[in-house]
Amino acid sequence: MKKGKAMTFYTKTGTSTLPPMNQILIFVALTLICVIGLAFGLHTMLVGHHHTLATTREVPWGLLITPYVFFACLSTGLCMIASLGQVFGIDTFKPLVTRTVFLSLIAMAAGLLCIALEIETPWRVGFYALFSPQPFSNIWWKATIYSLFTFATICNFLLLMIGRKKIARVFATIAIVLVTVGNLNMNSDMELLGARGFWSEGYMPLYFLSLSALIGCAAILLFNWISYTFNKQSPLDQGDMALQATGRLFMVLLLGICYFTVVKIMGGFIPKFTNNPEAMALLVQGDFARNFWIGEVALTVLVPLALIAFTKGKNVRVLALAGTSCLIGAFILFYDLVIVGQLVPHYQHYDIVDIPQYYSYSPSLHEIMISIGIIFFFLAAFMFGEMLFKKIYAHDQ
Amino acid sequence: MSENKMKGIQLDKLENEGVETLISEDRRQFLRFGLIVTGVFLGGSILSLTAAPKAQGASRSGKVVPAVGQFPYKPHYTMVIRQGNCINCELCLDACRSTNSVPAYGYRTLILERRISNTEGDRERAFMPILCNQCNQPSCVRVCPTGATYKDTTNGIVLMNNNKCIGCKTCMAACPYNARYYKEENRAIDKCNFCFDTKLKESGGKTTACCAACPASARIFGDLTNPDTEAYKLIHTPGNVFWVLKPESGTLPNIFYMDA
Repeated sequence: MKKGKAMTFYTKTGTSTLPPMNQILIFVALTLICVIGLAFGLHTMLVGHHHTLATTREVPWGLLITPYVFFACLSTGLCMIASLGQVFGIDTFKPLVTRTVFLSLIAMAAGLLCIALEIETPWRVGFYALFSPQPFSNIWWKATIYSLFTFATICNFLLLMIGRKKIARVFATIAIVLVTVGNLNMNSDMELLGARGFWSEGYMPLYFLSLSALIGCAAILLFNWISYTFNKQSPLDQGDMALQATGRLFMVLLLGICYFTVVKIMGGFIPKFTNNPEAMALLVQGDFARNFWIGEVALTVLVPLALIAFTKGKNVRVLALAGTSCLIGAFILFYDLVIVGQLVPHYQHYDIVDIPQYYSYSPSLHEIMISIGIIFFFLAAFMFGEMLFKKIYAHDQ
Repeated sequence: MSENKMKGIQLDKLENEGVETLISEDRRQFLRFGLIVTGVFLGGSILSLTAAPKAQGASRSGKVVPAVGQFPYKPHYTMVIRQGNCINCELCLDACRSTNSVPAYGYRTLILERRISNTEGDRERAFMPILCNQCNQPSCVRVCPTGATYKDTTNGIVLMNNNKCIGCKTCMAACPYNARYYKEENRAIDKCNFCFDTKLKESGGKTTACCAACPASARIFGDLTNPDTEAYKLIHTPGNVFWVLKPESGTLPNIFYMDA
């Protein structure tokens, strides 16, 4: 620090005003649904997963892994897009930085909250992860990396709030490296599960990263539009340009995901294109075909592509709609990714009598309610940010 | 198609534009981006190190059964299952339940019924007992974040430390043999440990509850480093054909199957 220059810990942003009543009411409603969902999680923790969740010995990972993977990937994608403006200094994306960093932070918080409710004894995690670490475990690395990422992003956001952009950039760089490593590690984590070859396809690392960036773009398009709608503003020129640039990036990523989807379809119909023909057939032609064709193909890729193509990516409202479609589709995609691989029986090639062709799994009420609780946690936190940090977000523009 | 078109752009004949024309800021940004990407992939690769380095493969030559003197553990416990002898009486399952307090909703061992083709082309039934394969490269140990499941350094049995189990169930998802379940009473994963803390201890390392209960000698417990045990003799008798389950998993199991 230069001599004589006092350190500023906050910036006065003007006279404080209460957020509009409708925003407060929406925040309360979102929080209420979140609390109801989390109450189911607490109940599960108290009585044991055996009594409330639909997971079994054969299918140990259920619906609750989906919001975790979804929000962790969403956080990764948001961090990537924020880093375009903050770390790589691309001016077009700068108006989005602070809100995107906040969204990335709350997405990771939602993911970590979900995994805390998914594991049976979360209270042992902190102690044994610290005092009995297993450095060969990808799960250990994932938990450590995501915790460090959360810390770096909190620092980044706080520094952005007080206008310390240079130091914030250092934390943003740390965060982007951490979260990308974490994302690759999540893929390795799933890939290394020897019994479940479904996740070991060669394209998975790039697929995970591309998907993360895709849903990051989708969330930016959606939540910035919601923000403008709530505040009864139309985006300023710079904000509009940033969203349009995000829309263009979104379209490029959609084309990339389109390629991976075609690879999946080929694997589903032609066994030689996949390491896991049974699982891919189940996904593309079997019981999960509706999820695949409606969720993964139509909602994730085709609908957003069509919407952007029709409007040439210039209408912010349509971009938000495309983002919504993509986010819903991606959630279904992650559900399929987690579940389908587990449904192929362990001893399927051993001519076992009375073994089903596929194991079955349907989420229980508790799993659905906890997932809803996690989604509404994210939405309530977003709303909270809109009410509290509106002026800080406005500084970016 | 003309020859020129077939050749396409001949890169070796193009003039090198060099990097001098790039603006220095662009170059710096590009280099920074390259470094980050490289760092990220290096990081990802480092985190994918192979697990359990001490749990060496049963054989460095890649064979399922190691040569004498190359066993990673001493005693190196094993079980030979003579599939043709199993009559599915389930006495082994009962013994396992009562000895190891296995609850009704779970199991440590199970007998699967197979319908296989014999040499004359007819279909016949066979019973295949399954249990934890006490693998030399166990995927469950590889994925556990807290070391709650681990290979015993002396005898190679895959054991559980219940206090450390966080219940993430990754080991269940990772096990190719469906050998694990979550035991509510322990708030931890439970699995076959060759009766390490019960029958094996009582018998001085000679047998397990299921082997002791089997009336048809379908399950033979033994030590692969001790030539006096029946399991050793069965495996090392020339002409005996045996196999392991799911060798493609690369886990190097210690449960060996043979017809009779």
